[in-house]
Amino acid sequence: MKTNLIRRKLSDGFLQFLTLFSSLLAVGVLTALFYYIFANGLSLMNTDLLRNDYWSVSKIVAFDETVNQPGLYPRPQDLDESVAWSEKWGIGFVDYLSHEKKQLVLIETVAADSPLQSAFDTSAGAAQGKPVALSAGLQVEKIDFSQAAGTADFTGMLASATAAEVAQTLDQQAVKLTSIFIKTPGGGIRGSIITTAYLILVSLLIALPIGIASAVYLSEMAKKNRINMLIRTGIETLTGVPSIVYGLMGVSVLFPITALMGAKTTNILLGALTMAIILLPTIIRSTEEALLVVPKGLRDASLSLGASQTQTIFKITLPCAMPGILSGILLSIGRVVGESAALIYTMGTFINDKPGLLKQGTSLAVHIWSVMSGEQPNFELACAISIMILIFVLILNIAVKFLTRRLQKSWH
Amino acid sequence: MKKLTIFLLAALVMLAGCSTPSGSDTPGDATATPSASAATIHVYTRDATSGTREAFEKAGDFAEQLTSSAIEVSSNGDMATKVGADANGIGYVSLSTDFAANGVKPLNFEGVEPSEATVLDGSYGMQRPFMFTTRAAGDYESTEKEELIAAFLDFMQNSTEGMLVVEKAGGVVDKTKGTAWAELAAKHPIVNQDNSSISIATSGSTSVEKTLKAALEAFQPMAGNFQFTMNQTGSGDGYKRVLGSEKDGANRADIGFASRAFKSGDEDTSAAMASGQYCIDAVVTIVNQANTSVSDLTQQQVHDIFTGTTTSWEEVK
Repeated sequence: MKTNLIRRKLSDGFLQFLTLFSSLLAVGVLTALFYYIFANGLSLMNTDLLRNDYWSVSKIVAFDETVNQPGLYPRPQDLDESVAWSEKWGIGFVDYLSHEKKQLVLIETVAADSPLQSAFDTSAGAAQGKPVALSAGLQVEKIDFSQAAGTADFTGMLASATAAEVAQTLDQQAVKLTSIFIKTPGGGIRGSIITTAYLILVSLLIALPIGIASAVYLSEMAKKNRINMLIRTGIETLTGVPSIVYGLMGVSVLFPITALMGAKTTNILLGALTMAIILLPTIIRSTEEALLVVPKGLRDASLSLGASQTQTIFKITLPCAMPGILSGILLSIGRVVGESAALIYTMGTFINDKPGLLKQGTSLAVHIWSVMSGEQPNFELACAISIMILIFVLILNIAVKFLTRRLQKSWH
Repeated sequence: MKKLTIFLLAALVMLAGCSTPSGSDTPGDATATPSASAATIHVYTRDATSGTREAFEKAGDFAEQLTSSAIEVSSNGDMATKVGADANGIGYVSLSTDFAANGVKPLNFEGVEPSEATVLDGSYGMQRPFMFTTRAAGDYESTEKEELIAAFLDFMQNSTEGMLVVEKAGGVVDKTKGTAWAELAAKHPIVNQDNSSISIATSGSTSVEKTLKAALEAFQPMAGNFQFTMNQTGSGDGYKRVLGSEKDGANRADIGFASRAFKSGDEDTSAAMASGQYCIDAVVTIVNQANTSVSDLTQQQVHDIFTGTTTSWEEVK
């Protein structure tokens, strides 16, 4: 009798331990993941990352002939020691290691009376001849100059020079600056954030009305016959289809539709259309489930007061099912934010700083794919983008929880 | 009480489990110091997506046969640092790496010393060409775009300025053959107008990405601030999307790139407006500076070391 009791206690204890261990393991793995992402990415998280373009803008500037000669510009008193100052041209440079582990030479400051203040754009186009401010943070790719003997030479990052070497070369050799090739800092994710927003908006705009309407039909109006059961099973099956299959379908079937609207390459609209199709089963399922839990009494009451079936659905049942529908929307947005395979096919892998519906672009997830697939994978940047995605999803979660509570209060 | 004990036990197990993954984040560090078995070779390799790895495996003829004990590093710089810190390490980097600064020694391949000169005359074997091809003449959205692409390729392939940019981004070029862009630009009046409405699309090899991006960004301000989109997905798509089966599809491009010669027969570039080679990528086998047992490797030796057949420096001598 007693051994039986001990045995039972042992097996109970073991099972309890198993459940506890499993949940702790899950929590531990998640914590480790978060720790890894935050430890690697947090150093890069700043407003520059969010605001900057991914691609640098290159400019070649030349200078006003009348002032283009060396002078004497004393080093400003308050200038940091790390700045290499060129006395004859009145400009300071600093060394900088970019988050892509590239050694850069940046402009730190230009003296107010320096000839470099007369810089103007030489590129053909609307901005040609317009003044360009040599502001702090611009990368000095190449400085072309003439030497006293009339020969030409150059310095800058393309000559593998450091900030100190650039300043020194300018002071010792340059008698006239031919041109400076500058680049704005790049590497930002602004374009991908906008693309992700486009993608969420357009795909929901298409998928929501269709999804909710078909869920209403299936659960409220359709008779329980074989065809309708078949449709329902079909939709359930679609939930499990890998998204890459939808991506293939998107690029082969839906591309001609966007081509009619003037698209020449894969584009964000195509990605959004494909995402809309991927989302449909999710939205239909969650709406249907939300409709099922609306008490039958509410419908009966509405009908007995003389409302038609349509009125009952749109004025009573649907509003009551709102919390469920909202959580369906949240799930959908989560899928759009996390999707990458289908989008690589339908939107390309070009990180676009000026996304438009009919242009290529990358969502944040594809941006991660892009920075990780190159010759030099950039773990830090990928983690920083992951933090962005996590924060975004967290905010969405809280917002939907809050909305759901508000709506539930008003309808029950 | 019992519950508490179980909980504590589980927490302990968890902690033990937790500390392992965070510790294994830096696999190279553990082997950074020379180990007891001083003569054992430590093979370092790049991640599977690396173009350098692809080139090296092809040169050593051991694709898919890499030894399972190889330590994976994440970038070219990482490789140089790790081999520089491991007296028994062997790895490979691109020729543009600063060997001395990282404490590594470049090895000869089949008796030929890796240098710009030996790469350019073809005697150094661990190299691959970066090739380009364009759409057929007249097959562009506008003649402006066609002229601009011709100008860009001329800049990248023949101008001293373009060669300098490509070289700085890691490609090997013969700068003695370069012409000043000011001279070449005379043939391309298109660069003197506002081209900001034109967008050049490129496709093909991912390995060319760095050199291509550098060249495009340098050429932008010289040619009326044109736009570009780079969709680099692999050498196979280089020909396909400009002249092959996908040339009018959703992924059409203007210039296609390959980090190998275009296959004669399958990839016939004779219809292209322009095609050719714009630089060479060379891979160099490196060992630690302190390693005196080896200075030259044959293809067979490279094959044996990286497949794990040869495991000690004694056998290489």
